[in-house]
Amino acid sequence: MLQHFDPEKDYGTPAQVSENLVTLEIDGVSVTVPEGTSVLRAASEADINIPKLCASDNLEAFGSCRICAVEIEGRRGTPASCTTPAEAGMKVVTQNKRLGKLRRNIMELYISDHPLDCLTCPANGNCELQDVTGEVGLREVRYGFEGDNHLSAEKDHSNPYFSFDPSKCIVCSRCVRACGEVQGTFALTIDGRGFDSTVSPGQKQPFLDSECVSCGACVQACPTSTLMEKSVIDAGQPEHSVVTTCAYCGVGCQFKAEMKGSEVIRMVPYKDGQANHGHSCVKGRFAFGYATHDDRITKPMIRDSIDQPWQEVSWEEALSFASSKLKGIQEKYGRESIGGITSSRCTNEETYLVQKLIRAAFGNNNTDTCARVCHSPTGYGLKTTLGESAGTQTFDSVMYADAVMVIGANPTDAHPVFGSLLKKRLRQGAKLIVADPRRIDLVKSPHVETNHHLTLRPGSNVAFINAMAHVIITEGLEDTAFIAERCETEAYQAWRSFISEDRHSPENTASVTGIDATELRGAARIYANANNAAIYYGLGVTEHSQGSSMVMGIANLALATGNIGREGVGVNPLRGQNNVQGSCDMGSFPHELPGYQHVADDEVRARFEAVWGVSIDNEPGLRIPNMFDAALDGTYKGMYCQGEDIAQSDPNTNHVQAALRSLECLVVQDIFLNETAKFAHVFLPGASFLEKDGTFTNAERRINRVRKVMPPLAGMQDWEVTQALSNAMGYEMNYSHPSEIMDEIALLTPTFTGVNYDRLEEMGSIQWPCNNEAPDGTPTMHIDSFPIGKGHFAITEYVATEERSTRKYPLLLTTGRILSQYNVGAQTRRTENQAWHDEDVLELHPQDAEDRGLNDGDWVGIASRAGETVMRAKVSDRMQPGVVYTTFHHPGSGANVVTTDNSDWATNCPEYKVTAVQAVKVNEPSQWQQRYHEFNDKQLSFLKEGREKKAKARD
Amino acid sequence: MGNHQLASLIKMANQIAANNTHIGDDVAEAKMVADHLRKFWARSMKAQITEYLESDGSELSPIAKQAIVLL
Repeated sequence: MLQHFDPEKDYGTPAQVSENLVTLEIDGVSVTVPEGTSVLRAASEADINIPKLCASDNLEAFGSCRICAVEIEGRRGTPASCTTPAEAGMKVVTQNKRLGKLRRNIMELYISDHPLDCLTCPANGNCELQDVTGEVGLREVRYGFEGDNHLSAEKDHSNPYFSFDPSKCIVCSRCVRACGEVQGTFALTIDGRGFDSTVSPGQKQPFLDSECVSCGACVQACPTSTLMEKSVIDAGQPEHSVVTTCAYCGVGCQFKAEMKGSEVIRMVPYKDGQANHGHSCVKGRFAFGYATHDDRITKPMIRDSIDQPWQEVSWEEALSFASSKLKGIQEKYGRESIGGITSSRCTNEETYLVQKLIRAAFGNNNTDTCARVCHSPTGYGLKTTLGESAGTQTFDSVMYADAVMVIGANPTDAHPVFGSLLKKRLRQGAKLIVADPRRIDLVKSPHVETNHHLTLRPGSNVAFINAMAHVIITEGLEDTAFIAERCETEAYQAWRSFISEDRHSPENTASVTGIDATELRGAARIYANANNAAIYYGLGVTEHSQGSSMVMGIANLALATGNIGREGVGVNPLRGQNNVQGSCDMGSFPHELPGYQHVADDEVRARFEAVWGVSIDNEPGLRIPNMFDAALDGTYKGMYCQGEDIAQSDPNTNHVQAALRSLECLVVQDIFLNETAKFAHVFLPGASFLEKDGTFTNAERRINRVRKVMPPLAGMQDWEVTQALSNAMGYEMNYSHPSEIMDEIALLTPTFTGVNYDRLEEMGSIQWPCNNEAPDGTPTMHIDSFPIGKGHFAITEYVATEERSTRKYPLLLTTGRILSQYNVGAQTRRTENQAWHDEDVLELHPQDAEDRGLNDGDWVGIASRAGETVMRAKVSDRMQPGVVYTTFHHPGSGANVVTTDNSDWATNCPEYKVTAVQAVKVNEPSQWQQRYHEFNDKQLSFLKEGREKKAKARD
Repeated sequence: MGNHQLASLIKMANQIAANNTHIGDDVAEAKMVADHLRKFWARSMKAQITEYLESDGSELSPIAKQAIVLL
């Protein structure tokens, strides 16, 4: 196991960037720093460590505690070094008798109102107050402890993950500043003045009831145990740590897993994490308890039919059972009758192995991945227009953007750490355009207000993006020099002629988009006129019948305005799961080998065949929805599904479940008996991200290391299970570590040739392409040219979806995600995050609610042509009339029972974002829900029965 | 030939055609659709849709039909 003991030095104030350097003398040492650097930081960089309490290098200097006071030659008094900029020629003294006395006096006052329970305090061993008290040499408190104090202040334990003990607060405001400056939520304030000053969440509310989003920035900032993780209170301070990468969203935050033995005590966002720079959200920071939840299945299981109890068996028996079943199916129904699904929750190495298993051991290309149902249109759209199936920037690039357009994404909920960075840039003055049918938090939140919220109708994306382009072209706002130099002339002329047609004007498309033409023109002008304009988009772009057209429309806009190829601009898909980018890169799609190399390309196939020692089919395989259809038709009979829960996440649940029931052998590899596993014949226990080595690739194309911090509960990491299955199938694999798998990936993937584990250790992370042309990786894409030579303008004709509101189904349902839950909820539902969202609800506009006699909390039946389910109603003015919204984090809510099998024309990505529905007040669960609960209970009893039988046999 | 898959394939082929009818030249449009099917559809899918065109084809749009002939 790789151990990383990083002291993570805190330099006191943020680093400054300046071409002008200043040289000063601190304690007789000459120090040179960029202009604007504080004296405190300048000293710290020379390893002269001035005591400090209210200062932290992720927060602007505050100058409140005065502990960092220094003497400066020629100046009166003892200025705080944190708020004093270093100047050329300055002579600074950081330690002398006078300063020592001053610091002791300050600490004496702090300690006179602080509990002296250090030995039993949770922060013992990791307390800055204690450290500074020691550093200044405080030996007595002359004031005594009998006077007025805060020692009996009431504690707040309302947050599930941390406690607030105001008796230990020194009112340094670090938590308040972290909440504002780092997280951008501004949930905390200092209430009262002088002696009465206290940290107040919201309006003096308990943390759980306030606007606090539980990101943990305040806990991390606290120099005492005032804000402390409950896990540390319970278990004590960790004794070692390992740096690894979060397994939630596509931001790819790095954390220090702080451990006691093999138990994770807390996850602390890693300051050197190149995607998160020491920040986190409630999921990555706190919601890791699922990894050791009682629901974990750690023994392989088999059964002949899904109407039978499970039998716990050895790994050998389970793998032999699975391989003989799969081989038997192929013998009976043909080579193409089986396939598999890779997971964006698994590592690059694991997804690579699964697709290799399918292509080499199964002998076909029936491999697909869950990106099919989220970002497959990104792959198609960006490859067609820009030549590479990936976003163009780093996250940090947003700090150089002057205008930001967020389309169909909700970063503060779904990509919270990037959301915080974006809000920081917006507070600095960047302009914001939000295109979303729903009023997401970004539209208006503390110190952030969008310039234009374009409330487009679900299904009208392409008409909207065409109207944006129409304004830019017809008003002459395009970047003619960029177009002439960087784009295909013929395609541009064709597109220009198409987009200039009057039918695309905002006025003529308003009846389709629902967007006020003046608002849209204003937004287009902001985007086109900004020095740097960046587009960030999510599944509100891709999960439509024209998802791929919309991605191309976005790329067209960036090309037309020259917003490609430098910091602050670009086309940025916000990937949903942790390794969506990676699972796509690794050849999970049925038509592409790793690195987006088409299976029909003889030269490409020959390279893989030489290394793999088998011949590879030159025809694409089935995509997930095609697999379901083929299963129902009886031509697809066996499937290996690693780390995905298609029964819950894929649309039209009735259709999916019928397909799964029709399989003769479904092999599920997961950490829980998820919804899909309830239809399985073989269950292979998986490993959580804490139990494995590998890499994830985030939305910036950043390859981050995942490091094993505890042994796999079931004895094998996921890549080892796939390898064992392959060997059982008769195709030999002999990797001894995931680094060897990465070496093979690098050998076969032109954009990865410079990637290996040693380089990852050295650099921390690498953004692909990383090869001879870009040995240190590629933070910004397309700087000088595109992989296809010139940028390609694609014509994006608006074609209305077949899914439209009718008299029978007058509302449009759109689905999405919420901050505290993640995807199908398999992980977060098994954590305390349930405190925020323990059921999916249907949000609807007050008018739609009133028309139906619905109030908050009423049961509401939601029916579409695909199915019917029941949830509680939440009346919300976030919605526009005629549009309703829900999440799909809880299987029993049946959100995907309602969604249809409509999909993107180019990629079959489901049209989750547009379903025509009716909503009515009801009194009981739907028939589907009743059937679901019955089936679920039966499957759980099969699990219990199998475990009990095994236990008896052992006795 | 199964009904589930065939119904989906017809819908998909028509949808691909509908999203590639901006050139104003039937031959070029059919070629684009055919290229798409070649690049992304599995062997069995192409075989099924071809078989359907040969035996019936009535639910396919004109461009989709022309494209499938090119497979």
